Amino acid sequence: MKAFKYTAVLGLLATILLAGFLLAAFVSDDPAPPEDAWAYIAPTAAPTDHSALLSGPFESGPAVTAACLDCHEEAGQEMLRSVHFTWESDPVMLPGRDAPVTIGKKNQLNNYCIGAAGNWKRCATCHAGYDWNSTDYDFSNPENVDCLVCHADTGAYGKGEYGNPAEGVELAAAAQSVGRPTRANCGSCHFNGGGGNAVKHGDLDGSLTFPAADVDVHMGGLDFQCVDCHRTEDHQIGGHMISVSATDENEIACTDCHDSAVHDDARLNSHVDTVACQTCHIPQGAVREATKMTWDWSTAGQDLPEDTHTYLKIKGSFVYEDNFVPTYAWFNGNADRYILGDTITPGETTYINRPLGSIDDQAARIWPFKVHEAIQPYDAGYNYLLVPNTAGPGGYWTEFDWHQAFESNQENSGLAYSGAYGFAPTVMYWTLSHMVAPKEQALQCNDCHGEGTRLDWQALGYHGDPMEWGGRSRTVSGGAEE
Amino acid sequence: MKKNKQTHPPLFYAILALLLLILPAVLVDGGRVWAQEEAPDAATATGSPMHPDFPLLDAAGEHVLAGDRAVSTMTTCGGCHDTTFIASHSFHADVGLSDFGAPGSAGDGLPWDSSPGLFGKWDPLTYRYLSPEGDGRVDLSTPEWIQLFGARHVGGGPAVYSRGGQRLEELAPVTDSPETQYVDPDTGALGPWDWEASGTVEMNCFLCHTGQPNNEARRAALESGDFSWAATATLAGSGLVEAVDGEWRWNAAAFDAQGNVVAGHVEIQDATSANCGACHGLVETVGQEPLTADDLQSADAWRTRTTGQLYSPERLLNSTLNLQDKASLSRPWDIHAERALNCTDCHYSLNNPVYFQQPDAGEPEHLLFDPRRLALGDYVYRPLHEFAKGQSAQGTLAPELDNSLRRCESCHDVEAAHDWLPYRERHTAALSCETCHTPVLYAPAQASVDWTVLGSDGNPMESWRGMASDGVITGYEPALLARENGDGSTSLAPYNLIASWYWVYGEPARPVPLRDLRTAWLEDGAYAPEILDGFDVNGDGGLDEDELRIDTAAREAVVAGRLEGLGLEQPRIRGSVQPYSINHNVATGEWATKECRDCHGPASRVTRPTRLAGYAPGGVTPTLLGDASTQLHGELQVRQDGALYYQPQTAVEEASGLAPLYILGHDSVDMVDWAGLLIFVATVAGASAHAGLRYFAARRHRPQEEALRTVYMYGIYERLWHWLQTVVIFGLLFTGLIIHKPDRFGIFAFRYVVEAHNVLAAILLANAALSAFYHLASGEIQQFLPRPRGFFDRAFAQAKFYVQGIFRGERHPFAKTQQRKLNPLQQVTYFGLLNVLLPLQALTGILMWGAQRWPELTSSLGGLPFLAPLHTLVAWLLAAFIVMHVYLTTTGHTPAGNIRAMITGWDEVESVPQPGEVEGIS
Repeated sequence: MKAFKYTAVLGLLATILLAGFLLAAFVSDDPAPPEDAWAYIAPTAAPTDHSALLSGPFESGPAVTAACLDCHEEAGQEMLRSVHFTWESDPVMLPGRDAPVTIGKKNQLNNYCIGAAGNWKRCATCHAGYDWNSTDYDFSNPENVDCLVCHADTGAYGKGEYGNPAEGVELAAAAQSVGRPTRANCGSCHFNGGGGNAVKHGDLDGSLTFPAADVDVHMGGLDFQCVDCHRTEDHQIGGHMISVSATDENEIACTDCHDSAVHDDARLNSHVDTVACQTCHIPQGAVREATKMTWDWSTAGQDLPEDTHTYLKIKGSFVYEDNFVPTYAWFNGNADRYILGDTITPGETTYINRPLGSIDDQAARIWPFKVHEAIQPYDAGYNYLLVPNTAGPGGYWTEFDWHQAFESNQENSGLAYSGAYGFAPTVMYWTLSHMVAPKEQALQCNDCHGEGTRLDWQALGYHGDPMEWGGRSRTVSGGAEE
Repeated sequence: MKKNKQTHPPLFYAILALLLLILPAVLVDGGRVWAQEEAPDAATATGSPMHPDFPLLDAAGEHVLAGDRAVSTMTTCGGCHDTTFIASHSFHADVGLSDFGAPGSAGDGLPWDSSPGLFGKWDPLTYRYLSPEGDGRVDLSTPEWIQLFGARHVGGGPAVYSRGGQRLEELAPVTDSPETQYVDPDTGALGPWDWEASGTVEMNCFLCHTGQPNNEARRAALESGDFSWAATATLAGSGLVEAVDGEWRWNAAAFDAQGNVVAGHVEIQDATSANCGACHGLVETVGQEPLTADDLQSADAWRTRTTGQLYSPERLLNSTLNLQDKASLSRPWDIHAERALNCTDCHYSLNNPVYFQQPDAGEPEHLLFDPRRLALGDYVYRPLHEFAKGQSAQGTLAPELDNSLRRCESCHDVEAAHDWLPYRERHTAALSCETCHTPVLYAPAQASVDWTVLGSDGNPMESWRGMASDGVITGYEPALLARENGDGSTSLAPYNLIASWYWVYGEPARPVPLRDLRTAWLEDGAYAPEILDGFDVNGDGGLDEDELRIDTAAREAVVAGRLEGLGLEQPRIRGSVQPYSINHNVATGEWATKECRDCHGPASRVTRPTRLAGYAPGGVTPTLLGDASTQLHGELQVRQDGALYYQPQTAVEEASGLAPLYILGHDSVDMVDWAGLLIFVATVAGASAHAGLRYFAARRHRPQEEALRTVYMYGIYERLWHWLQTVVIFGLLFTGLIIHKPDRFGIFAFRYVVEAHNVLAAILLANAALSAFYHLASGEIQQFLPRPRGFFDRAFAQAKFYVQGIFRGERHPFAKTQQRKLNPLQQVTYFGLLNVLLPLQALTGILMWGAQRWPELTSSLGGLPFLAPLHTLVAWLLAAFIVMHVYLTTTGHTPAGNIRAMITGWDEVESVPQPGEVEGIS
């Protein structure tokens, strides 16, 4: 009897299972629940309360660093290799050059405040180190590293001249507040590049400290911190910027978290080999604060009405723009770079940097850029761009004398001054990767295709709108593959 | 219409030959010319790169500079293109002229319609009536029609030719003809019209083929009667021509030595959406001035005003319009605009070889593509200006071209995108794509116009839907009407319904001319005293919106009296309902109607009422225009608040002859549900009463102690199929109940439940078929067959046992054995169940499911409105059977004995072993 009961129960179970399975097969068709963006972010350790560990008092910044290094023994050496401290890249080969060069804020120039050399009083305010005041600065002393600028509460710490702690900072309180870097830590320098809020990047400004979701979906909508994407190990911070990094190493990509075939529409997915995510998802730059689009140094030194956004005697005249439409260009992750001492043709635009890639380059995609145009000083005798002494002693910002500014900076910059200067047009490209708009604001087909005007197809190398003329596999000669 | 035979000079042929040599190689409109090393400039919105320089010629073929004459498109463009062919093959030019006839001859429209097009078809929205020959009272004469309707007419057709086919300039000035007369707008007096002086309006190529046609100036020229200068005015602002002291002066500097137009003044291009939008409705393009609500309601934005359609790629949340919940509306106005499609991509020239479609008929079956088609050069010479069109409700013009455009399904694969949709074929057969994919129009659309009363500005009372009184655009859900498709099928499609009321007079009826209506209502710009007496309720000397309504016989008589006073006989109020098709403003699936319960529920989208007007003037219920290729699937009702509604209805037979709709989850026959419920409850009550009686009887009559023994009653397969069927039937009843009344079971996803119901039904059928095979093959089928001889005696004995013996503790009259498990009553019950109820349920179920696969079969057997209630009724009967069935299992030796037997197979039976039984070991 027992054996029979067993069979019957088994039969019943099997029957129910069969019916249940069939039902479940149809019911479980539902799409997976929305994925938690945070699932892609490496979890961070709970912050350690340092208030009991660093009682102070501390006499100087380096004293704080020494205290940090007592426990974090490796951190000092790690930071000595970080570009945040070295301000200089490893040697790289640039196209058309015989020898490798290093690129960094330390030894090159841009077309904003031009160059740090000789201007450490102001420039080094954003150096992750203390008291950089000459070319003899000791880049091998770990105690010169400023731990606090990245790790202290920005309400308790700030930097002043030569990168030293600002007047009135209580170092003990600052040290006790340390933790994982926040948007405010990174933003204290990166939001203020170029000498003020929103000036430089076009996609980084103070609106990102506590951003709304429509400013940046990651930092606003999801409350991401910078270091959630700029993953950091051993103080080597992920990510690079075309202005100081000429190679495609250490890249952060959207596809680190997102599937490249993330769109429902196959036609959108077919764009991802050709179009950077940023191109559609960052439809405008500078969505909140206007950013500097042009800077004309040649008008500096005049007693004109001053306004931070139009004219300053020490800097010249500017044009700011918000919600600007980016410039689009092919970019394969590598860039060309003007290297200090390169000769220029004064009447022509000099590219301080230029994204590399073209329609023929399968690694290149169409990227959005902020293009900053400037008119900046060059040596009329040697035909190279000059780095003036602006913020240093006897610099242009106090004396308004260009000759003195160039002469006094010859040693610091390594650029001999012939005694004659002029102003030359320059251009600099800045990739846009932040201020990612909510998907509802992403570009649509018609923004570029059809009557859309965002992209100049022929300038990009297409025969015409690829919607009608075919994509680049059709355009590139010899590229018959789809 | 007179067809001019054009003769071409030899030079013309030389130019033409040259062009024909060059053009076919490179002319591109969507042409895919990949492999060229040196690609020509891509065609852009600003001018075709292929178009050669050209001079501007006057009607005589002389250069316009020669005598400061008006430009003639026919000669200018006719230098290369066959403009005579173009103008005579274009319903845009013809607008009904070639079908113009006596009033009422034009088809099923209004009895005073003279043609199916703008020239002759009366529209209650534009009101003015083109008078036919012989009407005593002229409303609009031909020249006035051009002045008024020329704004939305491209020229040619009735603006060049008379109704009899003569050129208008050549008409003899007949005094009583509306073709050569002109009604003085102030006095109403008829006077002659000088066609020689006004000239005619040639088909205006510039209007559609230049980037910035000056439509304002063109319209001004038309309104002022300078017909021949309308094309010239279209070029105003280009630098070619300017108005000096009311005269057009050509700018000689804009022409080169050869007389050609210097580049940069006017770019000839393919017609863009913006060109089409100038007459058809709002089209928004990149960089255009932001829209306002006034733009949406403008009479010029024809399709927008009548339907709320707006062709724009812009996302609604980026719109400058005051849209409700704008931030959540991330969809573009029209997905095709967003995907960079132009009007002409669907409404293409019918002989454009790029878009050319073989007619379906007459093609050999083995041929998929026929490469023999018009050469591009021939097309450019004679581009047919008949454009692919659909079949919109008010578009009665050129019916021979109906549905010549690519339909949704010619480009889209419906199956690939709708694999989630249960009953897909049924849905696609019953619904047009737009029904779900244009769920809401986010712009105001006209709801009614009441010409029976006039505002102090001489205009009618209008009402709008989709816009709140505070100006917030709320959008509206269009009404769903059955559309008669080109292939003979009907499907629900979205429409805006516009109700209109107006006075007509005389016999045969004519709409009261606006001039007379205004005279009846207004005197010197103010309301006539008689009108005020009749309408001014609050006595403030003016009439506000609440007072301006003819809602009493007295008020109707006041206006009718005034009209009669003007010599209009039998003035009376008529009303029309115009359905306006909605085919644009399409949304992707994300925004489409796809929640099952939007339709399959008590408040079904399909039956949602549409408010037509706040009241019905004169108590006149308007009638649907007869030529609208659609019919009302319901009735017009005046509700308690006095407002007039269109209430669609389903599941009812209609005189209209349209197949009635039956929507699962929305429709049900109440009587069936009540009857079914009654049977079910009665069964439960009966079983309970019987059980109660048994309980009390058992306390009085101890059942006789029997010698019981255990036998193997049910084989493993019998038990398996029984319990599988149990589970499935319970599942079917449950899912069926959800589908029947989805509003009561909100937590279940309708579409999964439908799927589950179908799957369960398939299991039931398979299980039934297998067990039928088992019973047949094993001979067990005999169990279920009642034996005819002495059946009634035995059945009676069994019945007597249930009503009597069981309470006395008697033995069952028929011993249960392996060979004879069922008593006679069971046999007859199962016989009925297995031969009637289950097959009936299976059949109705299959037919309901099959409504999508073999709709003809289903409808020939009564269709859903018959099958669905029957299916419901049988479901109730089955449910009642189960109650009875389960209850009767408790009538064995012990209440649970039979159930245990069906689980374990072993049953306890009385008396001596029967031959062949397997005896238990317990």
